[in-house]
Amino acid sequence: MQKFVDLHKRNLLSGLLILVFVWSLFSVNWGPDLFHSGGKHTILQMVKSFFQPDLSPEILQLAVTSAWRTLAYAVTGMTLAILLAVVLGVLASGILYNGKQRIWVKSSLRGLLGFMRAIHELVWAWLFVAAVGLSPFAAIFAIAIPYGGILGRIFADMLNDVKPEPIQALQSNGASRLQLLCYGYFPLAAADMISYTMYRFECAIRSSAIMSFVGLGGLGYQIHLSLDDLKYHEVWTFIFFLIGLVILVDLWSRFLRKRLVS
Amino acid sequence: MSPTPVFELKNISKYYGEVSSLSSLSFRIDRGEVVALIGPSGAGKTTLLNILSAMLPPDDGTFFIDGKPVSSLTSRRQRARKLGIIRQQFDLVGPLPVVHNVLAGRLGEWSLFKSLLSYLFLQDKELAMHALHRVGLKDKIYEKTAHLSGGEQQRVALARLLVQKPEVILADEPVSSLDPARAEDIIGMLVRLVKEENQTLIASLHSVDLARKYFTRIIALRDGQIFFDLPVDQVTSQQLSDLYKIMEMKEDAEVC
Ligand SMILES: Nc1ncnc2c1ncn2[C@@H]1O[C@H](COP(=O)(O)OP(=O)(O)O)[C@@H](O)[C@H]1O
Ligand SMILES: [Mg+2]
Repeated sequence: MQKFVDLHKRNLLSGLLILVFVWSLFSVNWGPDLFHSGGKHTILQMVKSFFQPDLSPEILQLAVTSAWRTLAYAVTGMTLAILLAVVLGVLASGILYNGKQRIWVKSSLRGLLGFMRAIHELVWAWLFVAAVGLSPFAAIFAIAIPYGGILGRIFADMLNDVKPEPIQALQSNGASRLQLLCYGYFPLAAADMISYTMYRFECAIRSSAIMSFVGLGGLGYQIHLSLDDLKYHEVWTFIFFLIGLVILVDLWSRFLRKRLVS
Repeated sequence: MSPTPVFELKNISKYYGEVSSLSSLSFRIDRGEVVALIGPSGAGKTTLLNILSAMLPPDDGTFFIDGKPVSSLTSRRQRARKLGIIRQQFDLVGPLPVVHNVLAGRLGEWSLFKSLLSYLFLQDKELAMHALHRVGLKDKIYEKTAHLSGGEQQRVALARLLVQKPEVILADEPVSSLDPARAEDIIGMLVRLVKEENQTLIASLHSVDLARKYFTRIIALRDGQIFFDLPVDQVTSQQLSDLYKIMEMKEDAEVC
């Protein structure tokens, strides 16, 4: 009965969303001025410069330092995020306590994690720039907080999903809760936790690049400047560096995953 | 007066809703006994072993371990020294190397610091080596546990029990997921080790043959009641076939 009501509600919601979507189509002005008149020309220029990225030494050097900066923000931000996520995730999974406090701690920590990730990293970046100015800390915290929230939530779920039999066996060996954590929960969930973190690390690199639009330096900032000057050749150079960075991280994470599985 | 029994149960019952899983069981088990628990599935073997291991409180009756109520086993360390548990092969931590699964038997004795340190420098290594030697797995000490076969994993679990050194071992269908040859190998090893260590063993089993070959006493359960409780040489084939016989009345009832 409960199931039926839920299903019904969900269908209702889906129907509502489809209606909103259809209505939004009507509200777009499908006239000839949907694209601005110079659009065609600009797009052509962009496509052309794709094949001729600016490879002059100054631009390459700028691209390397910007890429380095983007990577540094992402790595530092993610390191902080992982620390936050492990501590908050373990507490939010509720495996360290039982009884009345369990529900209380669990739900309040899940609430905190929800708040951390409900706000987009770009918004956090704005907030931190307003608070501490254009400093690397603004970028690092802006990544650490929402990613800490996402990872923390996933870590908590992964720890809760661990098979119960090995845990019960360790309990019968006389393990305390913290011993259960380091001899049962962590080893059993580690492979999943690491591969999800690596995936999120890729996302953090993209975020770090975007974040620099706010003015924090890095690849995104350079793309922004070059676009303003209509220098599409430079834009592509920076974009290729960004793609290269993401591919590098992907290769690294694939390598790590392979080692974990075998 | 006879010495205090390891377990003494008086009219133990357990209900799940309307159905009674165990009804009014009474028996005692003395130190050093090697008892097989047999019976059709659903007879209540797992429920009984969970009550004996103090993981499940009975709904009715009284239950003493070493003449004391279960509540006297307060600390995790006391409990681990008294009771060891082995079940199907799925209760090892697969991603860890064999040696850490074996040394997990020491967690009750170790501090948190010592158990973390053991990841860097193995603690009580000789103990683990000796236990693995006794179960014939000395060369697998650093292998990832999940890579071992089912029979080997169960031997790792036996090595863990050797390191834990409980007074009593409760085994719930420890070989139900193994082929007959492997199953006999593990049961033979379990019983031999229990006798060498002067422990008490209660094991539920699917196989009547293994029960007759290796155990000294058989408790047969059926529908949550004791069907018979006899020394192994007094159990007759007639009793065994009655134990597993499907009651005609029940079958008719299911057809309707
Ligand atoms: N958690 C539970 N909830 C409801 N019924 C249960 C539960 N555990 C066991 N039972 C019931 O108790 C009876 C005995 O089960 P069990 O002890 O698992 O038998 P066995 O181990 O001999 O196969 C069965 O009828 C089973 O359905
Ligand atoms: Mg069972």
